[in-house]
Order: sequence, then structure tokens, then C-alpha cells
Amino acid sequence: MNIEFLNGESVKLSDIPTVLEAPRKGEVTRTLASFKLFDGRFLTILGNAETHKLEAYAMTYGDEEAERYSTPASFLKGEAAHEVAVGPVHAGVIEPGHFRFQCMGEDVHSLAITLGYQTRGAEELIVKAHNDERRLAIAETVAGDTSIAARLAASKALNIPLSHSNSTLQLLLELERIANHVGDLGALSGDVAYLPTAAFCGRIRGEYLNMTAAYCGNRFGRGGAKRESADIKEWFLRTKKELFHALDLLFSEEGAIDRFEHTGTVPKDVASKIGLVGVAGRASGLTTDSRIDFPMEGETITETLVSEKKMTGDVLSRARQRYEELKISHALVERLLETESTAVQPSTLSLQPSSITVAVVEAWRGELVHIAIRGENGELVQYKIVDPSVHNWLGLAQALRGEQISNFPICNKSFNLSYCGVDK
Amino acid sequence: MIFKSLLARLTQGYRTGTFPTLTGPKLPEDFIGRPQLEEGITEEELNQAKGVCPSVDALFMDEGKACLDMGKCIFCGKCAKVSPKIKFTKEYRLAVFKREDLVVKAGEGEYTPPKNPNTKVKPLVGKSFQLREVSAGGCAACELDFNVLGTLAWDLSRFGMKVVASPRHADAVYVTGPVSKNMALALKKTYEAMSEPRYVIAAGACAISGGLYAGSHETLSGTGSTLPTPDMYIPGCPPHPATALEALIRFKE
Repeated sequence: MNIEFLNGESVKLSDIPTVLEAPRKGEVTRTLASFKLFDGRFLTILGNAETHKLEAYAMTYGDEEAERYSTPASFLKGEAAHEVAVGPVHAGVIEPGHFRFQCMGEDVHSLAITLGYQTRGAEELIVKAHNDERRLAIAETVAGDTSIAARLAASKALNIPLSHSNSTLQLLLELERIANHVGDLGALSGDVAYLPTAAFCGRIRGEYLNMTAAYCGNRFGRGGAKRESADIKEWFLRTKKELFHALDLLFSEEGAIDRFEHTGTVPKDVASKIGLVGVAGRASGLTTDSRIDFPMEGETITETLVSEKKMTGDVLSRARQRYEELKISHALVERLLETESTAVQPSTLSLQPSSITVAVVEAWRGELVHIAIRGENGELVQYKIVDPSVHNWLGLAQALRGEQISNFPICNKSFNLSYCGVDK
Repeated sequence: MIFKSLLARLTQGYRTGTFPTLTGPKLPEDFIGRPQLEEGITEEELNQAKGVCPSVDALFMDEGKACLDMGKCIFCGKCAKVSPKIKFTKEYRLAVFKREDLVVKAGEGEYTPPKNPNTKVKPLVGKSFQLREVSAGGCAACELDFNVLGTLAWDLSRFGMKVVASPRHADAVYVTGPVSKNMALALKKTYEAMSEPRYVIAAGACAISGGLYAGSHETLSGTGSTLPTPDMYIPGCPPHPATALEALIRFKE
């Protein structure tokens, strides 16, 4: 089988079986990435959470994938039928995207999400980059709020050694997770007009970003850690207390809970079918977490990461799931702050010519997949990034069905998906 | 219920920062601010630094002098590691009003942040400055760190500044991102919808020069491609909130 790449080269990847239909997807086996090779063929990378193994299949542009990526056009008829268009420039300070709500009276019948405004050609620039620093820097800027996870994934996929220990990397990854969850819970609170938590969380999120900056010099962890240890323990514990005080306030406020509950529900069977990942998937009752399913070498996570609480897939579940994950991440960071930083682990990967390298990192939204394909001389010929948002945007469209438009902000915030991560 | 909220407010305390009214900003120890280049950097030394630079053409030679273009630099500090003659200070006041002022030349003297040469700005927006933000293909980091200015920690409204939802209400457009081809029209329309006089602020390496995405066939390499020449440049990847806040205050005063 010949596969054509960006630079027009052709590489043989004869080990990959060609199948006629998409292999079973679901909680145990899930699609990590699917991308076009040539001639209408798609390469699908599957992850088997039971065996912790990755599998690759080449197939023709199947119905399932076509359905997944197409935007359903819906034409409602009748006096109450109308369409509301929003974007690409939104009212707030956020990324561009275009939403179309097809409504019947007050109810949203379907939501069509159009992305692509942020397309910058990141994958191609990574292939053409003049040095590894540039490759990592571009990977970091694919989705700005996921910089640390992206740097980690890119370094694994491209076999670029990072000059810090696994414990520091893990600590930074958890700080990134915490900062984002805190920001989103605050924004959720603001969207239902419960301002105390919104105000507190806005400030507390900054504390976690500043802790990241204490290691990296940059609030988003750009450029990686500049030091192996920083004196943040007391700061971290103090902020943790303030954070859970603010969050407990929100979760004990009946008015806020009432708005969250039974709003924007994505039931488990739907979530499994469309392949939700990360926080959104776990909030619908799925138990996927790449930190457990596809642990990277040298990872030492012992905590039970998947929350045992019953999750129903509504906004409240997604908020609760984030709360639970915040608890777990705080425990993890506390443990990592105690441990002596382990020696820098050299990668054991040896990148073969004509090979595909897949790196899976559990970013704060869910699994982030970076794929590097090498040509006959071992040179990088194609790079593919699959942001967790790729899997989850359809979940947001699903959550809106039957809701009122006024519920869009809280549904959107409960997912908080990346536009640029998808557009690249 | 209200007592619970009031009690919470007391517990959390007053948390608006003292910057810039009373003190300087609290910057991390490894903060990478304005670069400083020692005189006598040879072409060879510069090429060595260029070898690790993630940006294209951020470092260059001009009339025998080494130069660093902050409009292209992403402030990663990698060049300073290989070349001891390149240093990054903790100077966070990075914003300038002219594109050429972003270029730091070797052996430059002491730096004082420039004042806004457009004297018409202060009487117009000195007391009330409304901004419209457009993310034109950004990675969301510039947007997030600009958004942070609205939180109680930075409290932008103290300075009479506000982010508005409509370009009709805005005095300036705050552009982030390298201006992707797919956002160029929306950015242009936003600018055209603003009433005159209208200002353009380019924030972040991407908006200034295209940053890491300069030269990509999907982007137009910066704000200048689509809008008139920016009235202010705020370098950084992303600019620190203190850098952005100081810049905005300096712009209107």
C-alpha cells in the first residue's frame, strides 16, 4: 500500500491491514485518530483500553466517519421554524466559530457548528520546521490552553528529549488541568448569574497559572520547565483551600444546581456512539481516561482517576466531574510535590524509517493524540494532531437538542471545547 | 442565602492586585522580558543562536549589528542559553507604538518605554476606553490572558477600560492571532463597523508578524495584512497580563 504525504513522497506501510468497515468503537476500543492519506482512504488509529494497545486500520472513507464529520443540514418547516446564526466573531473574548441554531419555536431542533476560522496550517509547519524547538513551539500553540500536554505529546511522537523529570512534567500537566477546570467552573457559575464563585474562581485560576509560571516563567508553560523544583507547596495548599471554599459555595446553591440539572444531557449510549472523550465522556458515564488506558513509559499514577459517582451526562454531571477531577489532581500534585524529582528518563523509543509513532496524553479536555509518520529515510513526512475537542464538538451539538437557546452558554461552558485545537 | 455570600466574600478577602497603582507586578522568577544584546556578537555566534530559535528571522544581522525582533520572538529564552551575549531582562513594559521600535539592537542603551506619539488619543479616550477583541486565528492563549484583565485580580474597569461586545461601541480593536485567511474578512468587517477615530492594537507575536505562523499558506502573517498599520504593538507569546495592562494604560495616557 502506498501512502502519499504532504511533500509528495510515497511510503510503503504494508503492515497496516485494510478493512472495509470501521472496527467496533466504544468504551473499550475507541478511535484515537482518523486522517486522510490519499485516494479517499482513511487511516484510523484505534486504542484498545483493555489491552492498552494501539491498532491501525486503513479504510475507505466509510459511512460512519462521513456521518461523524459532516454537518447535518436541517430544514424545518412551519410558522415557528427559524434559524439563529452566531459568529464567527463572538460577543466575548473567545475564539471564532460559527453556530447555527435551527429552532422550532423556543426549542433548538439542531445545532450546526462550523469551525475552520482558525486554520493556520500547524501540521504542515511542524513537518517543514527547521529545528525541534520550532516543532515543539508550534505544537504548544495548536491549542493555547493545552500547551503543556501538547509539548509532552509532541516530544513523545517526535522523540525529542525534554530536559526535565517525569514528575515535573506530570505536575505541570496537573496544574494545567486544575487551572482550566477552575476557570470553567467559575465561568459556569457566572453564566447562571451566581457571581461569588465566578469572581473567586477567576482570580484563583490565575494563581494556578502563576504556579505554572513559577516553573516555566510562562503562565501557560510555554517552552517547558526552566527549573526542577519551585517553592509552591504552601501557596498550593492555601489556594486549594480557597478554591474548594468557592466551589462548595456553588454546589450548595440550589438556584445554580437547578439550572445545571437535566440541562444539556448527553446519555451514556449516545456518548459511547459518538465517542466522547475526557471530562465530557466521563460525565456521561464512560470510564475512558488515557492516563489509565494508555499510560506512557515512566508514568506512575496510582490514584483511581475515574470518578465512581453516578454521572448522567447533563451540565451538572460535567460540573461535578470537574469538581471530582480537581480533587484527584490536587491529591496528585500534593504527592508529586513530596516526591524527589526522579532523574530525567531518556526515551526508549527508536524511531524506525517508514513508521508511525502515536503519542496519547490525557490533556485536561481528554485524550490528545499526536502522530508522526516517517518516510523511508526516517525523515518526518506527515504530522497529525487530534485534539480531544475533535471528538467532543458533536457532543455539544447533541446536548443542545431540545434545549432552549438560553441554555447554550452553560452547555458550551460545561464542555469548553477548543476551536483552534480542531482547526490547527 | 445572602449572608452566606457575604461571609464568603469576607473569607476570600479583597484580592485585587496592587499593580500598577501601588507596586510593580509580581513576576515569576524565570520571567522572560525585554531582551538585551551585548555589543560585538559575531555572525557565527548569532547563527548558533538562530539554530535553536523556534521563530523564523527573529534574530538577524543589520549593518554588522546583531538584532532581535520582539515582533517575531516568542520569548522562550532558548537563544540566551546558547549565547551568553544575549540576555533577557525582567522588563515587562514591552509595548511600543512603531514597528521598528520592536527591534532590539546590540549595545542599546537604557530602555524607557515610549509614550504614545499620537497626542489626540488622550483627550479622546483617556477616561473611557472601549475595546473590541478579535481572535483572528489565535491559539487562545493571548485571548485568555487578555480576558484575565477583566477578573477581580486585575480589574480593568478601574482604569476606565472595558471590553465591549459590539464594534459599534469600540474605540480600538485588540487583534490577536496571525490573521488566518478564513478570519480576514470577519476582522475587516469588524474594523469597518467601528466609528472613527478607531485604533488598532496588535497583541502577541502572531498579530504583529504572524509569529510562528508567518509564512504559512493558511495565514496572512499579521494584522497589517488586513487592517491599517497598528497604533500599538504588544509583543509576547502570549503577552503577560501585566504587559498588556501597562500597555493599554500607556496607550491612553
